[in-house]
Amino acid sequence: MPLASSPTTVPVVVDEAKCIAEKGCTVCVDVCPLDVLRISEETGKAYMKYDECWYCMPCETDCPTGAVSVNIPYLLR
Amino acid sequence: MDEIKDGLAEVACDVLVIGGGTAGPMAAYKAKVRNPKSRVILLEKANVRRSGAISMGMDGLNNAVIPGYATPEQYVKEITIANDGIVDQAPVLKYARNCYGIIEELDRFGIRFQKTENGDFDVKKVHHLGAYVLPMPNGDTVKKALYRQLRREQILISNRYMATRLLTSRDGHVAGAIAVNARTAEFLVVRAKTVILCMGAAGRLGLPQSGYLYGTYENATNSGDGYAMAYHAGAKLANLECYQINPLIKDYNGPACAYVAGPFGAYTTNAEGSRFIECDYWSGQMMQEFYNELQSGKGPVFLKLDHLHDETVTEIETILHKVERPSRGRFHEGRGTNYREKMVEMHISEIGFCSGHSASGVFVDDLARTTVPGLYAAGDMANVPHNYMLGAFTNGAVAGEDAADVASGIDLPEFDMAEVEAERERVLAPTRREDGVPPNQLEYKTRRLVNDYLQPPKVTAKMRLGQLRLEEVRDDLDTNMMVRDAHELMRSLEAASILDCADMAAAASLYREESRWGLYHNRVDFPDKNDADWFCHTLLSKKDGRMVAEKRAIEPYLVQIEEHERSAYDRQRILKQA
Amino acid sequence: MSVFEPFEAFGDVDEIADRLRDPDPSVRRLAAIELGETASPEAVPLLAAAIADPAPEVRRQAARALADFDGIEAARALASGLQDPDAETAAAAAESLAELKDPEAAPALLPLVDHADAFVRAGALRGLKALRSPAAFAPAAAALRDPAPEARVQAVGVIGYLKLSEALPSLIGAARDEAAEVREAAINALAFTRHPSAAEAVAAALDDPDWRVRAAAAESLGRIGVGDAAAALVGALRDGFWQVRQKALVSLGKLRQRSAAQAILPLLDEELPLLRKEAAAALGEIGDAGAISALERRADDPDPDVRKTARWALTRLGG
Ligand SMILES: Cc1cc2nc3c(=O)[nH]c(=O)nc-3n(C[C@H](O)[C@H](O)[C@H](O)COP(=O)(O)OP(=O)(O)OC[C@H]3O[C@@H](n4cnc5c(N)ncnc54)[C@H](O)[C@@H]3O)c2cc1C
Ligand code: SF4
Ligand code: SF4
Repeated sequence: MPLASSPTTVPVVVDEAKCIAEKGCTVCVDVCPLDVLRISEETGKAYMKYDECWYCMPCETDCPTGAVSVNIPYLLR
Repeated sequence: MDEIKDGLAEVACDVLVIGGGTAGPMAAYKAKVRNPKSRVILLEKANVRRSGAISMGMDGLNNAVIPGYATPEQYVKEITIANDGIVDQAPVLKYARNCYGIIEELDRFGIRFQKTENGDFDVKKVHHLGAYVLPMPNGDTVKKALYRQLRREQILISNRYMATRLLTSRDGHVAGAIAVNARTAEFLVVRAKTVILCMGAAGRLGLPQSGYLYGTYENATNSGDGYAMAYHAGAKLANLECYQINPLIKDYNGPACAYVAGPFGAYTTNAEGSRFIECDYWSGQMMQEFYNELQSGKGPVFLKLDHLHDETVTEIETILHKVERPSRGRFHEGRGTNYREKMVEMHISEIGFCSGHSASGVFVDDLARTTVPGLYAAGDMANVPHNYMLGAFTNGAVAGEDAADVASGIDLPEFDMAEVEAERERVLAPTRREDGVPPNQLEYKTRRLVNDYLQPPKVTAKMRLGQLRLEEVRDDLDTNMMVRDAHELMRSLEAASILDCADMAAAASLYREESRWGLYHNRVDFPDKNDADWFCHTLLSKKDGRMVAEKRAIEPYLVQIEEHERSAYDRQRILKQA
Repeated sequence: MSVFEPFEAFGDVDEIADRLRDPDPSVRRLAAIELGETASPEAVPLLAAAIADPAPEVRRQAARALADFDGIEAARALASGLQDPDAETAAAAAESLAELKDPEAAPALLPLVDHADAFVRAGALRGLKALRSPAAFAPAAAALRDPAPEARVQAVGVIGYLKLSEALPSLIGAARDEAAEVREAAINALAFTRHPSAAEAVAAALDDPDWRVRAAAAESLGRIGVGDAAAALVGALRDGFWQVRQKALVSLGKLRQRSAAQAILPLLDEELPLLRKEAAAALGEIGDAGAISALERRADDPDPDVRKTARWALTRLGG
């Protein structure tokens, strides 16, 4: 069966002006228990790659620059 | 990151701990301290810094047995009664005796418990039967404190490795484990003299009502891999039909925290604002009452805080919005719920396996030993009933020390490389398909079937149908699942664990032909408790490739339960029909 | 096939130290995070230097990272962080100071108890609390006269943790402080002793204008466990705040005050089920048979917790 790509909104937002991933930071990517954050090869900033979030917040709490905001996933909002 | 690489490495150690959440770090630490010469490896699917149920800390210790407040014997009695008598008391008693020492040790690690102005632990009583809670208002630093201890002891940590199967020697002794890197799909073979499983609950078994796969009560990393691995290694699993189901904030799927708000005067009510819970113990019986109220004309169910003083509510909020599930505040904000004005709607969670809150886990004795030589289990996945966070720490410590002792007396067991090869084939098969079903769809379907067919009230004919449907899913999983990168590969392995757990849930539930533990095992066609035939553990295991069930006698009680104590509890039992 | 290292690196302190000298503050900040995670004692002097970094974000990070260490050297570094003009750095230092455990660290903090800035004074006292260093007693007692209430609250804590009998007069004085939060802390801190003067001061606080202080007093009296507290607690059963009445009931039950049984009976008719339940529980603890008929009326209370507690109390009273 062929695959489709269906859109989905993701709950985690990264403020690119604050994120210092290009300086070597990977804190949010490191701490996420579901391993759903990545550093974008295009922008050099962190972003949510997979919509598989437990809205637990270590990414936001541990980000040294306050760049991450966790929202409640739409389905349960 | 995430592209699939071909890699295989082999390492060896004395003690291998799998799962670095709560029990795991403690087990690794204790093993190392017990025998500083030993090599201890802690393997974690996520990252030990923030993994597991306690990722952001916990509101408090639910079951602290603190001298001067409660005695170990009292505690054992309560747990025995709350668990309808199906308890081997030795591990529970051991926990009750050891846990205070562990609290003191955690305090030394820098984990912050609530203290009085005299610097003593500020223990709160929950009800007159003697349930005690020790709050941790700044508990969000728990993992940091544990991580620090692991670094100090120079424990070898492997983050982002997902264990998939255990290795055993020809004579049946555990010999290590196979793991896959969650970001590269490289394989790691860890040879070990003893292995401790600390992989948490099977939290992704039922589907939350929101339909969001990761909107689970449990940390969604805990997909039941530990249960599946123990099963495939031949270990026995106990009382899996005694599901975990918890009261929750509706949709948010985080606890409503009667434990936090309770001591401040909050309580659970029905829509009329009246309390309805009769049962004194956190148990399946209580959940049955909850369920009945939800189904009745008096539902839904609420957490009531609107009678509390503004300042008290603020105090509760600062705890609830900082620790454990801190996004709770955001959820309420989004819906415009203010604790001061509105009661909070509650519901019940999806089903799972968990001994931390219930009693479904890998069978262990009071040294945390499973039925496979050299293999241990601790925390939510080991069947020491209702042991919660402090049980994970305490029993993790027990396992760590014994595993270190045993390891120091034996040689590294041999293993069969063919087992590794076979596992690589199983794991990588979905990467070799050009076309097929992605893991998220297989997982969704499995969990939807769990809700439709295996969730209580349990009906025999439905569960049998459920088994047939799950077999079809297994067929797809074996022949048709497809993944495109290493991350999806991890999800595909989780989907397989979840399916294994679903099969176990069905088999265990069908085997026990009575009703017990309130809602947890409410079997509609066997509505009564039947002590004559079923006052025993039920054990599932894999024999010659097949799932078999057997009974196991309860060990004679160490703390006797008086007839009147038991009957007082039985009198609280209510009709199961809603 | 690829070759890979499966273990987390232990962090090479020297290599990280190089990055602490990088011209880019973001790089230095990330180095500070890594230093903390090494948990190696060698990281402490480096973090002590980083807490004086020109960039505030580096200082903040160093202050947070120092929470992973104990001892005088870390305490000295944090003491300087506490005085940082950057409020976030100072706040982070205060949090990290509260993690200290080793009494050896006390000398780093004691001089700050007289600092010009109230935030620094309070932070130093908060850090001293868990060290339980007897040397902190005199400065803390002096700090009870601090103009800033947040410093006085922390001073009460330092004294309370020490549990010294010679501290009673200071704590009793603090129980009459002008700020409610100081009085509340002092009332809690007095619970460690059975000395009559403590019980008296706590009982007097049952007339405090602030309900939280009154609630704390009602609770502390139960902990102190001196019998003649009963009369005062009986008075508290008529308090306008249910929170105070609830604590008074619990304490009376704990103290098993027979003389209080009659005064408790009317509380079986409280509107809030929580109080009816507490009243029944207290009567059960006290065990005065005179309460039987009143409890019997509650055995069929509409609230399950009240009826269960009433039935439990009745079995204890032989009713
Ligand atoms: C929301 C919530 C609230 C709770 N509140 C309280 C409370 O207030 N008080 C209390 O006492 N208890 C509470 N509990 C219970 C308590 O947190 C748990 O009982 C306890 O933390 C379980 O510890 P554990 O080590 O068994 O599991 P966890 O801490 O969950 O650790 C399991 C670890 O195994 C890892 N893992 C899983 N699969 C694999 C694999 N295949 N390979 C490698 N690693 C793997 C996971 O990533 C995780 O780190 C709560 C639980 C939850 C979920
Ligand atoms: S933790 Fe913050 S700064 Fe670091 S990569 Fe993530 S978003 Fe960027
Ligand atoms: S909220 Fe939790 S699961 Fe979601 S991205 Fe952040 S750390 Fe990961």
